[in-house]
Amino acid sequence: MTGLILAIETSCDDTCAAVITGAGEIRSNVISSQQVHDRFGGVVPEIASRHHLALLSPVLDEALRAAGATLDQVELVAATRGPGLVTALVVGFSAGKGLAAARELPFAAVDHLHGHLAASFLRPAEFEPPFLALIASGGHTLLADVRDHGPQLRLLGQTLDDAAGEAFDKGARLLGLGYPGGAALERLAAGGDPRAFAFPAAERMPGLDFSFAGLKTALLYKVRELGEPEAERRRADLAASYQRAIVAALLIRVRRALKQTGARRLAVGGGVAANGPLRAALAELGVELEVPPPALCTDNAAMIASAARYSKALRFPAYLGLDVYATGAQRL
Amino acid sequence: MRVLAFDTATARTAVALMDLEAGDNARPRAVLDLALVDDPAPGTRPGHARLLLELVHRLLERSGGGWDAVDRIAAGIGPGSFTGLRIGLATAKALSASSGVPLVGVSTLQALAVPAHGRGKATLAVIDARRGEAFVAGWTAVQDPLTDVPALAPQVLAPEQLAAAAAALGAACSVIGDGAVRFRDVFVRGGAQIPADESPLHRVSAREHCRIAGLQPAAPSTSIEPAYLRAADAEATRA
Repeated sequence: MTGLILAIETSCDDTCAAVITGAGEIRSNVISSQQVHDRFGGVVPEIASRHHLALLSPVLDEALRAAGATLDQVELVAATRGPGLVTALVVGFSAGKGLAAARELPFAAVDHLHGHLAASFLRPAEFEPPFLALIASGGHTLLADVRDHGPQLRLLGQTLDDAAGEAFDKGARLLGLGYPGGAALERLAAGGDPRAFAFPAAERMPGLDFSFAGLKTALLYKVRELGEPEAERRRADLAASYQRAIVAALLIRVRRALKQTGARRLAVGGGVAANGPLRAALAELGVELEVPPPALCTDNAAMIASAARYSKALRFPAYLGLDVYATGAQRL
Repeated sequence: MRVLAFDTATARTAVALMDLEAGDNARPRAVLDLALVDDPAPGTRPGHARLLLELVHRLLERSGGGWDAVDRIAAGIGPGSFTGLRIGLATAKALSASSGVPLVGVSTLQALAVPAHGRGKATLAVIDARRGEAFVAGWTAVQDPLTDVPALAPQVLAPEQLAAAAAALGAACSVIGDGAVRFRDVFVRGGAQIPADESPLHRVSAREHCRIAGLQPAAPSTSIEPAYLRAADAEATRA
């Protein structure tokens, strides 16, 4: 493909559009974070969806402008189909189909998780399969055996309750930090003792699935047990110990998965990949490690465009009747 | 002027394509006056995301012309289902940006009022707002919904406020829309007149959007927003 790929991602609370070349080179990657959910302590679907509609046109314009491109140069339009918040997904998905339809362009309906894996395929990294992938974000936590470019996902394990990023956010909330709280918790933890408290990392849970609900409860009980003044005095220790448990929970399963698959290469994605202690711990695993830059780890549309290169591009008008999906993967 | 219009504010997916006569009446030309609607089966969710572009495509095919022949896109801005509105407007803005055809936003309440008005009577358009409330807008007997700003501006009302709103517009006010059917008893007690439940006057047809849009100047598509009429915070505090 010589033309450009224009992609849209609106599965949660970031309004994203990107332009990449057919060879996987990023020309623009625009992310508009809403930052309006703080006072609710989590993403409110109706608020997120209203912002998506208001922000999408300017974000699309900016993606084309930054790429120095016009719609005339776009040969393929892509949009995230799911999983995610349905009311948020339909905004970007409807826009993507509409943009393609008026020009009778082909359209690729991309799975969000395929997108996270495909972030590694983009230039300049061009981290090629086979590899083990750890995706850890506010909405997803999973391990996948990536043997080809997809879109079929070989899932090895996933969270049975909260996502890792959600665990960070909920812990941050308990410690009186804002939302989203991952970065704030990491900063607070930097001044604390990670061994001050023993929080569970679900070590005894066999297999490759994750569970973070017990950890969150353990922090809640510890804060109550200490009492307000003492918990306040030891906030940094609590944060450091809590963070250590999340990182340990991820590491235990990554090690198991490497052993099980025999993989020697590991790619990481999702917003939690920005966590310093996690990156440091992964770097010591002794495998070839790919952690894309932050703008490609958090939700973004460049990764959706990357996944579109390996997804089935539907010709006009075959895609007009497609709808989004909230859960599960690969309905194509 | 050829106008392509659609509305996704209610459960019905409504699309129309029409050539308008020049002049103030914006009467449809007999040459091209196409409309398609899809009503979800009872108990099923609206299919806007699946149906909207399919219906648009079918109408354009039937017209024998493509986007080059379309002079204006008209999209219903509600009020109505929040998700429905966003599917309609996200699609409309994308079609407009991609085709270069100017976009106009049309009030769904206004579009409901146009065919019901006349015979020297006031008209109240009512859309079921869920949670026991209704979205309303009203025109007095001397007004014309096709061109006039409604005397009763679009707003959300509780059932006990509905009868008074209709009466204030004029005697024997004509009340239409799925909200008129839903709150029929309240209106009838207040002396308003409501067509039979199965009357097409209660359902949105995008044909009126074409006529209304034909009389309006096109605006920058960024200025076109859904008429939510309810704060998003309300959803958050309920959650």
